Amino acid sequence: MSDKKYWQSFGELNNSEAYQQTAKDEFNEMLPFEDNSKGLLDAKTPRRDFLKYLGFSTAAATLAASCETPVTKSIPFANKPEDIVPGIANYYATTYVQDGDVVSILAKVRDGRPIKIEGNDLSALTKGGTTARAQASILDLYNTARLRFPTINGKEVTFEAFDKAVGDAVGTGAVVILTSSIVSPSTKETINQFIAKHPGSKHVVYDGVSYSGILQANATTYGKQVIPSYRFDKAKVIVSLGADFLGTWISPAEFAKQYAEGKKINEKKPEMSKHIHFESVASMTGSNADERILHKPSQLGSIAAALLSALNGGSVNFSDAEIKKGIEKTAKTLLAHKGEALVVCGSNDTDIQIVVNAINEAVGANGKTIDWSSLYTNYQGIDADFTKLVDELNAGSISNLFIYGANPAHTWVASDKFKSGLAKVKTAVSFSSVNDETTQLCKYVIPSHHYLESWGDAEIKTANFSFMQPTINPLFKTRQWQDSLLKWSGATTDYAAFLKNYWSTKLGGESNWTKALQDGVINTPATETLGTASFNSSAIANASNSAANTKGKGKYELSLYQKVSVGATTGASNPWLQELPDPVTRATWDNYIIVSPKLAKDLLKIDLTNNGQADAYEVNPPKKVVKLTAGGKSISLPALIIPGTEENTVGIALGYGRTEKLGKATVDAGKDAFVFTSLKNNTVSWFTDDVQLELTSDTYKVALTQTHNIYDTKQGKRTEVMKELTLDEFKAHPNDIIEDREKELAPYGGLEKFEKEGTIYPYYDKPGIKWGMSIDLNTCTGCSACVIACHAENNVPVVGKPEVLRFHDMHWLRIDRYYSGDMNNPNVVFQPMMCQHCDNAPCENVCPVAATNHSSEGLNQMTYNRCIGTRYCANNCPYKVRRFNWADYTGADSFPDNQREVLNDVVMNMNDDLTRMVLNPDVTVRSRGVIEKCSFCVQRLQEGKLKAKKESRPLKSGENNEWDVKTACQQACPTNAIVFGNVNDAHSAISITRQDNKLRTFYSLEQLHILPNVNYLAKVRHIDEEHEEAKKEEKEHA
Amino acid sequence: MHLKYESQLREPLVNGRKTYHDVTEDIVRPIEAKPSKLWYIGFYIAVALLLFGVYSVYRDVTYGIGQWNLNKTVGWGWDITNFVWWVGIGHAGTLISAILLLFRQGWRTGVNRAAEAMTIFAVMCAGQFPIWHMGRVWMGFFVLPYPNTRGPLWVNFNSPLLWDVFAISTYFTVSLLFWYSGLLPDLATVRDRAKTKLRKYLYGVASFGWNGSTKHWQRHESLSLVLAGLSAPLVLSVHTIVSFDFATSVIPGWHTTIFPPYFVAGAIFSGFAMVQTLLVIVRKVFAMEDYITIGHIEAMNKVIVLTGSIVGCAYLTELFMAFYSQNKYEGYAFFYSRANFFSPYGWAYWGMMTCNVLSPQIFWFRKMRRNLFVTFFMSVIVNIGMWFERFVIIVTSIYRDYLPSSWTVYYSPSIWEIGFYLGTFGLFFTCFFLFAKYFPVIAIAEIKHVLKTSGESFKETVDNIEKQSAAEFAHEYAH
Repeated sequence: MSDKKYWQSFGELNNSEAYQQTAKDEFNEMLPFEDNSKGLLDAKTPRRDFLKYLGFSTAAATLAASCETPVTKSIPFANKPEDIVPGIANYYATTYVQDGDVVSILAKVRDGRPIKIEGNDLSALTKGGTTARAQASILDLYNTARLRFPTINGKEVTFEAFDKAVGDAVGTGAVVILTSSIVSPSTKETINQFIAKHPGSKHVVYDGVSYSGILQANATTYGKQVIPSYRFDKAKVIVSLGADFLGTWISPAEFAKQYAEGKKINEKKPEMSKHIHFESVASMTGSNADERILHKPSQLGSIAAALLSALNGGSVNFSDAEIKKGIEKTAKTLLAHKGEALVVCGSNDTDIQIVVNAINEAVGANGKTIDWSSLYTNYQGIDADFTKLVDELNAGSISNLFIYGANPAHTWVASDKFKSGLAKVKTAVSFSSVNDETTQLCKYVIPSHHYLESWGDAEIKTANFSFMQPTINPLFKTRQWQDSLLKWSGATTDYAAFLKNYWSTKLGGESNWTKALQDGVINTPATETLGTASFNSSAIANASNSAANTKGKGKYELSLYQKVSVGATTGASNPWLQELPDPVTRATWDNYIIVSPKLAKDLLKIDLTNNGQADAYEVNPPKKVVKLTAGGKSISLPALIIPGTEENTVGIALGYGRTEKLGKATVDAGKDAFVFTSLKNNTVSWFTDDVQLELTSDTYKVALTQTHNIYDTKQGKRTEVMKELTLDEFKAHPNDIIEDREKELAPYGGLEKFEKEGTIYPYYDKPGIKWGMSIDLNTCTGCSACVIACHAENNVPVVGKPEVLRFHDMHWLRIDRYYSGDMNNPNVVFQPMMCQHCDNAPCENVCPVAATNHSSEGLNQMTYNRCIGTRYCANNCPYKVRRFNWADYTGADSFPDNQREVLNDVVMNMNDDLTRMVLNPDVTVRSRGVIEKCSFCVQRLQEGKLKAKKESRPLKSGENNEWDVKTACQQACPTNAIVFGNVNDAHSAISITRQDNKLRTFYSLEQLHILPNVNYLAKVRHIDEEHEEAKKEEKEHA
Repeated sequence: MHLKYESQLREPLVNGRKTYHDVTEDIVRPIEAKPSKLWYIGFYIAVALLLFGVYSVYRDVTYGIGQWNLNKTVGWGWDITNFVWWVGIGHAGTLISAILLLFRQGWRTGVNRAAEAMTIFAVMCAGQFPIWHMGRVWMGFFVLPYPNTRGPLWVNFNSPLLWDVFAISTYFTVSLLFWYSGLLPDLATVRDRAKTKLRKYLYGVASFGWNGSTKHWQRHESLSLVLAGLSAPLVLSVHTIVSFDFATSVIPGWHTTIFPPYFVAGAIFSGFAMVQTLLVIVRKVFAMEDYITIGHIEAMNKVIVLTGSIVGCAYLTELFMAFYSQNKYEGYAFFYSRANFFSPYGWAYWGMMTCNVLSPQIFWFRKMRRNLFVTFFMSVIVNIGMWFERFVIIVTSIYRDYLPSSWTVYYSPSIWEIGFYLGTFGLFFTCFFLFAKYFPVIAIAEIKHVLKTSGESFKETVDNIEKQSAAEFAHEYAH
């Protein structure tokens, strides 16, 4: 049965040869290509080949010709560098040095590009804190307006040609090296070497913001022309005579950290330092003060003298009753805290600073809160030296001038005189990396590296060193200026080798140097016993007399100030800083005239107590323009009404009105106020005492990001938003805040049952990780470092002034500022506000496409891909923290050329290929039409979780100060006001913070039952109740 | 024999002694005649507005929603105001067709066709706003729950905006079917009178082969009833759901339980006003005073004064609740942002109060109700007022909400926002002009039906009853 054979043909049956051939060839038909052994050219192409060739070539030609898909080149490493792992960041310790700001930092480098600045935790001074300007400095690296090659008379030359030209011009002649304060010991060494090779040369130090007053006063009274260390952490009473020490004065990041020590409250033993602030124009530091006394700038000298006299038991003679009382009270408080009090003064007047030194002696600050063993190096310039140099320049006696870091053509009192002097210099060399006002006047320009491309070191304070190393290859044909100096002094080594050698010798070996470079810092541990200096009181009487006798001439006075953001010298070209809302005025992109509410009523005819007028002022961006005239110069700027400003004093920020060659950000951004500086007693003075104000009929639109400033309404005080109280109240009724919350939540089940009973929805457990944040309003100073850190970390777009004017700013994190109390001299509180990651988020349920939803870890997540842009979530967010991409801010949109008409050059410039190098590759760049908001830096959380997972251990967020995760804002905060971590971990910093601060904890808008995951700690002020009562009594008498 | 008796005192629903032929002639005339110059002027203006709207939308889509003056605090402004306004207007047609049909209100026949058409066009206009206000309109299909390859991603059924999608698309579909099914016999009439082949063909296709058989009529009547039954609840539900966009939110001034009835009343109010605006013109231009009589106008004015007063009560209730709740956030929204004339948007609130609550009270007077000029003027005023109402609700609530730090600069529209709004007027009137030219603006078949029980000819047939004695009458109708 089975061996029956079936056959189809006889061939198969017989298994003939022909059959075998057919079976073999069945599927093996030869393709009909012609045998081209004869050579391709001779081949006769058959029809089918012809069609194949035709089809292929047509398709290829079509592809090649028509499909202009942009080619993104992504080339793998041929030889993988040892240290670069794609997707993993490297951190390099380096140092931010810019015009007196010195901060030890880490540069986060991704695939060879620095993309973010973090504070260096190892620094004993800043302990990981940063400033807004340090955070923003990374963007300067990618500024398209940076100088890209050496030039002579504006023409590009090679380094060799440049060296030769300068060598020929200078020879071994005398050179004046004009720099800003040099904090680098090795640079000083190179300067000395250069000077040694060029006999007759000298080094002149000029600081755009001068501290000559303090330096000279210290020279007079202590015999040392230096700035000592101020220890705000050791002071129970801090009196500031106009020193903006949290924002711009000497070393703000360090001071903020120290200041926060005194402002942190231990609930079991509530104590805090007391800060009394004298000032003329509302500043960030003044806004943080417990008590603020307003005075005219010209009165500062007499206030200092009166305070000194009061401390010495004398009587206070002062015409203004309010100030007099303030001085008396200050004196009393200071005397009660001898040895734990500190008085600082922002004046640049030598006499006033001498009086302040005497005051500090009188309150026993020397050696207790002022450390004379540790001295600052970041401000060394003496105004008189520079005045002399300008005279010499004009006399034509200087033929060679090298300029680094100084920009007197913009910042000097008599900039015209400097310019005319500079014109007489034969060989003017600028090392500036940007084309600033002074560089434009120099014949020879050899741009130095950006600090992130540089080698270097810095002695921030005596024996506190911080190091600098390149984090990227130089982007342009630039050369570090120390290299040039070394080269021109005939040295054969470059600066990198010089530096290595210098430190290896000093530290005893190369490995020590490598270690130091890796750490970024060498700290000298702060000792408990501070250094003292012997005080020479001989100059006091004279100084005190002359200080007391300065009187203002006119009715109105002008006080010039620096913004925390832009600063006086270099910030104006940085779009992040320009768009950073000033913590005090909440304005961006401009400077303006600050006026008091009283002056607004008189001059602007705007009465803020009249609701209609206040509303009209608030809701309309065009502000009235005031023309200010002083000393024959005038300026017209819009007026902003800022409470906390002395009645008849106006304020203008320095640092604006810069040359457009610094970058697009300087275009149409404010006006130059340096013209109103003057020399008084050989030092630069920041105020003018006789100004005329005139209201013009013009208006100018000021880009404010916050228009309303009080949380008290006619329908009730919105205490759910903000809670603040005085220290005495807190001591007397520690449960005030809890009782407040209890009352607010009473209709919904009370504090205890609120979460479960305040809703009709079921309660869900929250196992695993649950992220939470706590922000201490007591230590938040409003410095805005966090805002810039957020910008950099999360690729938050810059939108430019026209867009901010339309309330289109994109900040994920903003710092709300509220006033309370007396509107002429209000209490101020700063409240950082970002997505609160509500567990019962109102934004989540309204999105029709579920583009925003809740993670199992308590994050309110935003899915950009899914978002269709209905903006319903933004409307329904009670905190208004959601931001919509109104236009193609990032260039990420697929619609071509859709920015040209609608966005300004600044935004276009931010989308330049060079500028885009700053983008964080871990964070999506959002395109037009989607909502975005704070993500709690989810990319950092994922990274931290992965790290813990790889090491097979639970994630740590602050346990024993070990951190797997820190949000960008938390990392940047100089006062550690922001604490973040896993709430479900009882040992995490956030859990401990919430546990330790139960009495002050509150959630903004808690009563809505949206269950935010960000809590605030109520602001406590150290206001003297007695003082308040006296005030009340006086009012009753009146 | 069934008797429908109409009193001599009752105002006729159709004036004049109309025969069936007269009715057909009168109503079909505009379709068969060449349009007037006035029609062309109106049509071109409408098309011009439409094109401006198209360009405005083009800018919005190409450059982003930043072409409008909305901001980080005021996320909705003119866009959603206009959306709610048009949806509100789109309520009258279905109300007239469905609810009045169920209530056997004979007077609806004169106005229902035009009102339904208006409804459909208004809903089309309304739909533009939620569509084009999206930041990424090209991803708008994400709101549709269809099987997809995006894994577990699905629409969010918790979102009132999604409810809107369903509510409005359902409403539009049902309204369109209702309107079109009513059109079938009339389209057949036009087809039968057509003199050109093309016309015959097109109306033939459009009338779905209607031949007037009893079976057709019977099915048509059943379908009308079913659709009426379906759309009656829709009239109430659509604006209820639109009001949920606000009522279910947390924003003071939006978060209000009174919104559903208040929005529905407002919608009917504005819808009737819009019908008045259009019909006062249509009856004049197309000489249809006999079919859309003063009686019709008056009936609708009565509805306007009723709904206007309901809306007024709602406004006062809101104010009272804001006071009674002692909620400071709500208190601020109502007493400072709105009721305070001197606050930045106080004028809008008082504009709304004047237009919606005070001025319609004039219709308590019969003379005013029957005055065409007053009616026309008031109908426009009411719609301005209702626009203000939506603007007040949306903008004054969000421009100053919970955190005083977020309170915003003054919001006023950009040219492209205004352009978009004007564009929807263009769309509306373009459609309406085409409708008036190519479709019978009054339901011919229904008017003929009404002639059986109303109008002068009918009254003549019952004249003899008046003259009969009770005994005679009883005798005649006893069998």
